[in-house]
Amino acid sequence: MDFSFLLNGRYVGILLGGLFLTLVLAIIAVGSGTVLALVPAFLRLSKNRLFRLVGTAYVEVIRGTPLLVQVLIIYSFFRMPVTVVLGIDLSSFIPGMLALFINSSAYVAEVIRGGILSVDRGQSEAAASLGMGKGLAMRKIILPQAVKNILPALGNEFVTLIKETSIFMYLGIAELMYAATIVRTSTYAVKESYIVAAILYFCLTFPTSKLMGLLERKMKKADAR
Amino acid sequence: MPDNLLVLSGLSKTFSDGTVAVDAVDLSIAKGTVTVIIGPSGSGKSTLLRMINLIEPPTAGHVVFDGIDLLQKDVDANALRRRIGMVFQLFNLFPHLSVLANLTIGPMTVLKKSKEEAEEAARAMLVKVGLANKADNYPAQLSGGQKQRIAIARALCMDPEVMLFDEPTSALDPEMIGEVLSVMKKLAADGMTMVVVTHEMDFARVFADTIIVMDGGKIIEAGTPEVIFGHPTNPRTKEFLHRVIDKE
Repeated sequence: MDFSFLLNGRYVGILLGGLFLTLVLAIIAVGSGTVLALVPAFLRLSKNRLFRLVGTAYVEVIRGTPLLVQVLIIYSFFRMPVTVVLGIDLSSFIPGMLALFINSSAYVAEVIRGGILSVDRGQSEAAASLGMGKGLAMRKIILPQAVKNILPALGNEFVTLIKETSIFMYLGIAELMYAATIVRTSTYAVKESYIVAAILYFCLTFPTSKLMGLLERKMKKADAR
Repeated sequence: MPDNLLVLSGLSKTFSDGTVAVDAVDLSIAKGTVTVIIGPSGSGKSTLLRMINLIEPPTAGHVVFDGIDLLQKDVDANALRRRIGMVFQLFNLFPHLSVLANLTIGPMTVLKKSKEEAEEAARAMLVKVGLANKADNYPAQLSGGQKQRIAIARALCMDPEVMLFDEPTSALDPEMIGEVLSVMKKLAADGMTMVVVTHEMDFARVFADTIIVMDGGKIIEAGTPEVIFGHPTNPRTKEFLHRVIDKE
């Protein structure tokens, strides 16, 4: 095996650029996905049957189809001219991002719903007994407690998304997997480029999940205050 | 009677599986009185209590509080709930808030009191329940008895007209029951209207104006402590009292 391309600044630059873009993509996806996820999460928690049905359908359809298929469907619907901003072609970036954060929102919706449901019923009863309305109780009593259960799971979702951004390779976005492909085609070091890509992914995901574990333990400690 | 603060009529709860927990109960509660509900477990006494402030939505009947039917569609249940305090068996304190914040969150968010005003009232209430030094602690740092006294203080901070107690001492270690009962006794002596579901027969005997005996979702007997403990007429009341008093 020949890893000598790692001594070439140009290839290293391409790979690190890909790594950086991968991280940015995952952050945007999990951030916007979490905001969007509030909609299906609360639809599923609603008392209204129709709302529940819509929320459940959204979550089930998106979780039940491959991300690659979703990306390609959304990409084929979006026809926009090639617009390059900061070296990123928006014509593929925007639909790709859209697909990723819609996908993420379905998974995060379940995380949020689970987090809210895990808060003891007595809490909402106590809030109601003080005359708090549903919205007020949700904001002041339920959500602050649910966050403790939601955050660690959100970290896992972030790790998953870091890996799933590799799908952007198909759209020609220069994330890590795409960068590895460029290195492969110019150096013919096939195995080596992919192994380096795998190591770089791991360098992102492993510290993230370690960090989340730490956060989780810290929150448990804060709970036992 | 015009001084009836609470009037329950035909109040029923049928669960979705068809179980009838409370079966057409009629009950009037006068201002300033202490009503104690006793009965074997599963008799529907907690469900009845929880229906008074609609934490448990009734399936039939009426709850009339201060002349207003709470089950009317255009009635704002939350506006009336703030006038009805409730104390739960498992305390249900807000674990993410300090003791002081537990006491002020209702007055600040619901009654729109200023922080200063709410905190001043809360500190005075903490003195009343004997926990003035716990203001900055979190619920997890308190004993069961302290938690329940804080829960009582939290309800009282809303300045309620009636207090509902759902087995307030059942989850406590025996040595902590006394401190909670003494807070309740003070409250009763101050003339608070109270509805209490409890197994504490001594509290019932001394502080109840009316004792309600429930069994199978119905009120099987009601009367003063002298009548209920002295000369109960219903054989099921006799049997129940025999069992609980033997246990003591």
